[in-house]
Amino acid sequence: MSLINYSSREINCKVVYYGPGLCGKTTNLQHIYSRVPQETRGKMISLATEMDRTLFFDFLPLELGQIRGFRTRFHLYTVPGQVYYNASRKLILKGVDGIVFVADSQIDRFDANVESLMNMHDNLAEHGLSLDKVPIVIQYNKRDLPRVVSVPDLEKELNPQGAPFYEAVALRGTGVFDTLKLACKLVLKTLG
Amino acid sequence: MVKGNWALFEEDFWSINAILQTLMRSASARSVMLIDKTGQLINSIGEPPGFDVTSFSSLAAADFAANAQLALMVGETDFATLVHQGQNESLYLSMIANRVILVVLFDRKTSLGLVRLKSRRAGEELLDVLNRLFDKLQYRNEEIGTPALGADFAAEAESEIDSLFKD
Repeated sequence: MSLINYSSREINCKVVYYGPGLCGKTTNLQHIYSRVPQETRGKMISLATEMDRTLFFDFLPLELGQIRGFRTRFHLYTVPGQVYYNASRKLILKGVDGIVFVADSQIDRFDANVESLMNMHDNLAEHGLSLDKVPIVIQYNKRDLPRVVSVPDLEKELNPQGAPFYEAVALRGTGVFDTLKLACKLVLKTLG
Repeated sequence: MVKGNWALFEEDFWSINAILQTLMRSASARSVMLIDKTGQLINSIGEPPGFDVTSFSSLAAADFAANAQLALMVGETDFATLVHQGQNESLYLSMIANRVILVVLFDRKTSLGLVRLKSRRAGEELLDVLNRLFDKLQYRNEEIGTPALGADFAAEAESEIDSLFKD
């Protein structure tokens, strides 16, 4: 949940990148970190295994600067995608203001996307949340690879609620900022 | 308990600030922080820490959340306090009103016993302030439902987002 501090005039919002293992959540954050001006970003923290798989979360704070006298910050988190880290995923969703669901477009990862999405719904419900209350943007990643599912087929299975989506190649940065911008704007709309 | 967004108003902020100041002085701590349990810093007083407080806050909240799950596994409802003791610097963390985390950073000039005692007192005082604040927010959310920031804010924020986040 966003925290508005009227005394120090600060607003902090939490955006969580969700999705199956190796879909590119950390890659999204790494691209953002590498491209935003230094004064906009804080330190990126990755709690990862020796194999660079996310163990607990990645964290990247971004500062929009002063907006109408409020210092406005977004805290970006990723969840660990691997199935057996569900306890960690649940914890990170606590207090979420907006979600980016990163789907892996490859044919052989189709079921993993569906499973991760169902898991996200379950975990949101445990916090008393649902997509009626929390804005979501879907990112169909790895569009450059061979053997990918068509976007209409992905939409049919993963996005029946018609949430906004972008196609992306996170490794090259394609679609990364479009996704982030929309997620941030949707979150701010819920505050206003 | 308030659900959804929460806000901190001027008078509550200063009440909290006064409690934290007293705690820091009486426990001879180096600095004291109050962190929302989702990992957002509410207030930090004392020596300016030589580390990134935003990252610190997110890790402290994660630390607490992970330990709460460990508590459930061993049959406890929670671990209300955590202590991390280093050679020179130590941390004492306690959860208040199941909503915010009080963090005391202290060194060898004081003792864990004193920090614990003073933190417990400060925790009780903070609980009063927070309960009043949550009542106020509950009333505002349910009865008034006024927008917190206004449409101008969203419009200005959107243009800021467009100019900052681009390849």
